[in-house]
Amino acid sequence: MSGNMTKNTIVLGLGNPLMGDEAIGVKLIELLQSASGDFPEVDFIDAGTGGMNILHLLANRNKAIIIDCALMNQPPGTIKRFTPDEVQSVKNLAHLSLHEVDVLKVIELARSLGECPEQITFFAIQPESIEQRMSLSESLAGRLADYVQTIKKDLP
Amino acid sequence: MSKNIDINVHHLTRVEGHGNIRVNVTNGKIEMCQWQVPEAPRFFEAMVRGRRWDDIQTIVSRICGICSITHSLASTKAVEDALGIEVSEQADKLRILMHYSEQLQSHVLHVGYLVAPDLFRAPSVVPLIPKATDAVKTIIRAHRVANTWSDLLAGRTTHPTTLIPGGLTQIPKPDQLRDLQDTLKATIPDLVTICEVVLSVADKMPAFERQTEYVSLKQDNPPTYTFYHGGITSTDCNGQPPVPVQQWESVANEYVHPQSTAKWTKWHRDSYAVGALARFNNNAELLSPLGKKVAEMFGLEKGNCSPFMNNVAQLVEAAHVVETSIHMIDELLTTGLKEEKVKVTPKAGRGSGCVEAPRGILFHTYEFDKNGECTAANICIPTNQNHANIQKDFQKFVPEFLDQGQDELRLGLEMLVRSYDPCISCSTHMLNVEFVK
Repeated sequence: MSGNMTKNTIVLGLGNPLMGDEAIGVKLIELLQSASGDFPEVDFIDAGTGGMNILHLLANRNKAIIIDCALMNQPPGTIKRFTPDEVQSVKNLAHLSLHEVDVLKVIELARSLGECPEQITFFAIQPESIEQRMSLSESLAGRLADYVQTIKKDLP
Repeated sequence: MSKNIDINVHHLTRVEGHGNIRVNVTNGKIEMCQWQVPEAPRFFEAMVRGRRWDDIQTIVSRICGICSITHSLASTKAVEDALGIEVSEQADKLRILMHYSEQLQSHVLHVGYLVAPDLFRAPSVVPLIPKATDAVKTIIRAHRVANTWSDLLAGRTTHPTTLIPGGLTQIPKPDQLRDLQDTLKATIPDLVTICEVVLSVADKMPAFERQTEYVSLKQDNPPTYTFYHGGITSTDCNGQPPVPVQQWESVANEYVHPQSTAKWTKWHRDSYAVGALARFNNNAELLSPLGKKVAEMFGLEKGNCSPFMNNVAQLVEAAHVVETSIHMIDELLTTGLKEEKVKVTPKAGRGSGCVEAPRGILFHTYEFDKNGECTAANICIPTNQNHANIQKDFQKFVPEFLDQGQDELRLGLEMLVRSYDPCISCSTHMLNVEFVK
């Protein structure tokens, strides 16, 4: 309907710029978008905390890269690359509100519907602090260029 | 009757708060019955202090990923009220059209992904797929339409980019609006199907009512089933004129309750409810024909006091916004769309904006200095306005359903909370994982 041409690869940045290191996915998408001319086959999307909307963003793509903040029991600032099958969620959802969303559950739903990209890669960054603040902690802010270089290696 | 019951739906992670359900019954005596909200206090008001008038929307749109258009609209209206900015009829209509997309998006998501699994007795939507494949696919199709609709009007699906005090930074092209109109027409059969599916399992909703005050917007000139304009009314107002939105603090009467870190509210009674059923109870006669038809399908009439019928009212509104938008697009195309320039001169002032989020009435107030920098802010979200009412519902529900046993009572209470479509733990969605390979 919107007339947008869907590209084969999507890079999604998830997170909230009002919540400290939770902003990392959105911040990295901003940086990657500024270099989008080098990657004509890639859509870079700031998906914020859109939750279930990710389902629709994944549909009709071959490859998805999801950048998000993640509690992984790693030192703050650590970036890990993994597929959805290499992890299990230990997120505790009450299922009382639409607003609680686990991206891994959305991927499970997309797979059940036959709408999931064949290839999904996460780049997850361990936060130092999640609190109401409009800036990243030093552990993450000082490594933005490294993160961008790491993610770019996966882009077609 | 069950002699002993211990329900403790307790979810508290490191950052996010959730609602907790606590019920304790010993030897048939209810010793505890609480809806607890231990959510981390939100300091979004502090974040906008010192920011310019044209930065506010960008910040507050991030408060919530589901209601981001609504927060953006409430803040934009408040800024316009404070700075005395007029908005053209065209921008006004396009904003309402944008707002309707969020109503459809959220209502379909809520009924389809959270309420339907309850009614089909499935733990979530994923196991529902093999049981009701076509129904789930229909819900997802309708949700996808709402997303592409908000993409067109708001610039993207969440956290809008097109809103600015005074108007919009971009407007759709006529052929894009025509395409949207065709898509909305084609969505009506899907909405009817979703209603029929929910109706087929509606008997699984607990039969529960409690006399309640319902608060929503009301627009008299012209009379409209409003989500955007008008003043504040309630089912206890007995025909009194709506309260101006600038006086919302005298409606919400926020107070601190030891059960919750979120503030509670009350107006004419100890608690009130907001949301789709509140809007319906105050404005039902102004629904579109299809909205009225959906209400009739479910036997929903004005004055209904069952919280579970809020989800039916959401279906009614989903039909209403789609049908109404089809007509609004005709009006926009007939008048013709034109690019509009927005010019704003900052000045000192105080203003309020009030719009209906899918889950109920939302208030924003800001004060600005002469340079247009924000000096004070106050935001009151709909879910906080429902907390006290959920507690009152619990106090009637538990004794009435005690003899159903622990598991059914727990499910009933969870369904009751879900029926309000609460916005809790919406500001962070990060992963929490352990490695298995």
